[in-house]
Amino acid sequence: MKKTSKATVITAGIFKYLFMIFFVLIAVGPIVWAFISSFKSYSEINSSALSWPSSFKLDNYKAAFQFAPIAKYFLNSVIIVGCSVLVTVALVAMCSYIISRFDFKLKILIVLLISASLMLPAQAISQPLFAIFQKLGIFDTKLGLVVVYSAMGIPMSFFVMTSYYKTISTALEESAYIDGATFLQTFIHIILPLAKPGLVTIALLEFINTWNEFYFALMLTSGDKARTVPIALNYYMGTFANNYSALFAAVVMTVLPTIAVFIILQRQVMESLTAGAVKG
Amino acid sequence: MKTKNRGLWIALFTIPCMILFAIVYAAPIVTVLYTSLCDYTTFSGPVFTGIKNFAAIFSDTDFLVSIKNTLVWVVLQSTFHVSLGLLMALVLRRKPKGWKIVRTAYMIPNIIPTAATGVMFTLLLNPSFGVVKPFLDFLGVDYNMVPNLFGNSRYAFWTVTFTWILYSGFNTIIFLAEMGAVDKEIYEAATVDGARPWQVDRYITLPLMKNIFGTCVTLASVAMVSQFDIIYMTTKGGPGNSTLNLPIYLYKAATLENNYGKANAVGVVQIALGLVLVLLIQRLFQERKELKEGK
Repeated sequence: MKKTSKATVITAGIFKYLFMIFFVLIAVGPIVWAFISSFKSYSEINSSALSWPSSFKLDNYKAAFQFAPIAKYFLNSVIIVGCSVLVTVALVAMCSYIISRFDFKLKILIVLLISASLMLPAQAISQPLFAIFQKLGIFDTKLGLVVVYSAMGIPMSFFVMTSYYKTISTALEESAYIDGATFLQTFIHIILPLAKPGLVTIALLEFINTWNEFYFALMLTSGDKARTVPIALNYYMGTFANNYSALFAAVVMTVLPTIAVFIILQRQVMESLTAGAVKG
Repeated sequence: MKTKNRGLWIALFTIPCMILFAIVYAAPIVTVLYTSLCDYTTFSGPVFTGIKNFAAIFSDTDFLVSIKNTLVWVVLQSTFHVSLGLLMALVLRRKPKGWKIVRTAYMIPNIIPTAATGVMFTLLLNPSFGVVKPFLDFLGVDYNMVPNLFGNSRYAFWTVTFTWILYSGFNTIIFLAEMGAVDKEIYEAATVDGARPWQVDRYITLPLMKNIFGTCVTLASVAMVSQFDIIYMTTKGGPGNSTLNLPIYLYKAATLENNYGKANAVGVVQIALGLVLVLLIQRLFQERKELKEGK
């Protein structure tokens, strides 16, 4: 057998690492650059893109807080995302349990509806939603966004959860029923504890998707009352057209929370995203 | 399964989900389909006019450009970018030194707000204080003016396309998960038989990735049909119509022109395009599979 020459192995190794380094650079380079620049003064930013800040000043962060109610946007995001996660997890936990365990007439219709909405482009339904929300009086409210986000989370979570329930044996429920437990008791005390890992998966999926959601937040809000963090960036882009040093601080504050969550729960997040993609 | 009050529980557990569905999906879809055939603006309610809106958009150059751009992006994202994700997974599969760092770093753009990525690239590529100038200086390139990558119609399309390379990291973790599920004995047997690493990848790993490749292609296409955030934050579809796609065109029709009938006609086209793409891709990957199985 012909041996691969040493030179080929080394060249292949070099290419491999260049490839890897290139992607790390374009993936986190902009974030690191924005982070470092966020401590530079306005004139330092203008004079050189790649210099180190002369001292780590927090002026840009102060400016970001001064020019826009960023704390309020954060609070809005936390409330909206928190409620959406709770609603989606609760609704999906119930609905997909039924689908995974029972056969009934409308079952196919429900599954069909949910899978059709998986592929639905957000923009296509945005104008009617805008009109409906105005009629219902929930345009430009946190409740409005919670309603959209909870619904948007359903399709993917539904398929992840249905396949998770199918991995849980029905033997436990059957013996519970024989012992005289009611449906609700069985669901709450036996099924839900067993389904926890699946519920965590869909909660994380919903958290990431709603925390980052931009389009509906843009279409369905008009004031500070319900604006979320990603929309705040849009606002900053307009107000800070000339004072971009504060924009650096704003963008850093927007990305840090998700990065922190990701680093802490890395394995979980990756599993959630993979499950969402493959099963959905 | 048998339990008391079976029908009642089925109803109680599924109806909340379905109500939410009716408000957020069903009602809007019916409205989109109907009002796409209406004269409908901010100031006047929908009045049926037939296919007038469709005739109008299909004779609008901007609309045709936005369809073309959307399709080009679908093709690029679902071929080149998915393959890039696969290539990265093949590299990381052997766990070279530092592979975990690469995987984490490559994942980060996929979990931060896309609007933030848009802002960062706007800053990064700004001609006066971004990195383009020092980069050109470093390469020793002669220039009269630092190119404005998002602001010049010569570069804008490809600059926007480039930012989406970041999202192939998502494909990488999907492929890695699938590769992790491959039976290790197959690899051991191949190594014992003297297969070289590239042969193992070519003849064992890649064929096993066919189904998941189809999934990634579908996901990438669907994502590109509704791609909005980064374009909105960087170029808003411009300069001119160079980075216009269907979502941006729709957004402009609805919010700038206040022409809801037109916006919803675009919505119908967008939904149809998504459906056709999904069916087409599924067909493509299914037929391939059948050919392989000799049916």
